[in-house]
Amino acid sequence: MATASSNIKGFYRQKKKESGIRKPTSTKSDKSSLLHAATLGSDFTPPSALVSHGSPDLKDDYDKNEDVLRQFDMNSAYGPCLGMSRLARWERAQRLGLNPPKEIEDLLKGTKVRSECLWDGCI
Amino acid sequence: MAGMEIDTVENLQRKQSTYQSLDETFVIQNETYRGQQYSQIYFARLHMMRTLLYSLVTHWKPHVPVCTVLGLEEGKECIIVGTLYKHMKLKPCILDEYSKERSAVPLVKHHNFMHPDDHLVLEDESGRVKLGGTVLSPSVYVTGVVVALHGKETGAGDFMVLDVLEAGLAPQIEPQLKSREDKYVVFISGVSAGSSLSNPLQFQLLVDHITGHLGDEKEQGIAAEIVHVVIAGNSVEIPLGLLNGQNLASKDQSRLSEPVQELDILLTQIAAGVPVDIMPGSNDPANFSLPQQPLNRWLFPGSRAYNTFRSCTNPHCFELDGVRILGTSGQNIDDLKKYSEGRDGLEFMERTLKWRHLAPTTPNTLGCYPFTDRDPFLIESCPHVYFVGNQDKYGTRILKGSEGQLVRLISIPKFCNTGMVVVLNLRNLECHALSFETQFSS
Repeated sequence: MATASSNIKGFYRQKKKESGIRKPTSTKSDKSSLLHAATLGSDFTPPSALVSHGSPDLKDDYDKNEDVLRQFDMNSAYGPCLGMSRLARWERAQRLGLNPPKEIEDLLKGTKVRSECLWDGCI
Repeated sequence: MAGMEIDTVENLQRKQSTYQSLDETFVIQNETYRGQQYSQIYFARLHMMRTLLYSLVTHWKPHVPVCTVLGLEEGKECIIVGTLYKHMKLKPCILDEYSKERSAVPLVKHHNFMHPDDHLVLEDESGRVKLGGTVLSPSVYVTGVVVALHGKETGAGDFMVLDVLEAGLAPQIEPQLKSREDKYVVFISGVSAGSSLSNPLQFQLLVDHITGHLGDEKEQGIAAEIVHVVIAGNSVEIPLGLLNGQNLASKDQSRLSEPVQELDILLTQIAAGVPVDIMPGSNDPANFSLPQQPLNRWLFPGSRAYNTFRSCTNPHCFELDGVRILGTSGQNIDDLKKYSEGRDGLEFMERTLKWRHLAPTTPNTLGCYPFTDRDPFLIESCPHVYFVGNQDKYGTRILKGSEGQLVRLISIPKFCNTGMVVVLNLRNLECHALSFETQFSS
């Protein structure tokens, strides 16, 4: 649960100021409110540099939707993310009365996003 | 069903009762395995139990703050809720095979893995903390139980436990219509048809008694009051010695299926007269991990024809005339015996009811299906009767809950060893044993 420090930012090459997963800041932008929504219910803020920039970023920073979904994956309040599709995990959170944010469900059902959690295929 | 009367004109009618199966939670039909691990079922269990315990904690110690394991502060009294993990020195570990030093490891005792150095740890999503103090005895608890603990963190980083809160007995629903006449349920387990220990004549005697083929009118009158039969596991013993990796000769193939055929013949006789539920056990041809799925109906071509024959899951839950009966074939209690200490089987049964979980050691030391969104072994409604099969001896007592719940605990002995079955009266939940002997001591 390390807080982001400047040496981490230097280590992980970041293309733009806005890319990478960040802890919720006080700016009232759309993205940060969605991020805040994803981490709701958890006291544990994930570390900010979750994204591995190992492969060269030939395209621009990946989808900000993916960003939000990764925050949802990492939120321990909704249980472990491995071994379940994101939608199944969202539905489980709903059934258990955890009130997962509606935006996540809309993203998973509506837009073209990865259906599996961020560790899928890596572990 | 008519008795075997020859002289009298009247027919004896067997009494009836309403039956409702509550096994849906134990049937694995909509689950798909997607590579998930057991963390999911532990999460579901922790979440359900913690929600319950949080509501109980407000009445238990209203002025003590509740926090998570990570939020513990040294010296500050608080309440934490999590899953217990018992670190056991003697518990066999797969990694022992790979340990470099081949020291003289003490032989593992099969019956119990306890050691004085065992200690408990409490875990939630944020972390673990070692538990200290004398309030929580490691010999009583097992891995997988969810409890609330009141205490404080010590300088050493342990959590000194001052008090513990278990979930306690679940709420119990009173049966709507209390039966006013005597109606009996017969519980059998460990028939082990096909084993060298089992005596077919003994089982036949039991079947004849239940179906009213034994005795005079009075005897048959008693048998006519039997409304249900429950067979709690280990009904067959398949000669596994025949399976040695080679192709089976045809005569060996028929020897493999003989025990089930023998059982089916007797089951058909029972099913013809009285509703019978058969549950799988650890030795039966069913899946290994809990909840065991019903024995395939095609194993019983004779009994299958009767709608009174029901193949059920293990654990099995049903209602007879509104009386809720829940039980297993014994694996849950047998596993507790290996990893904890108790006076008798009934004490372990009492603990599972108070922990509100039928099999807390799943999936740690007892195999279970990796559910993702629920834990089917959580006891949501307290049964009126709780039975466990394949035990060493018969035992029974009434357990009283803090909110007026009353549970009849029944430990069913193995029939092949003891010749005993248990008979329960639905009217007053009184219980007695029935023995069948075929040896005559001279």
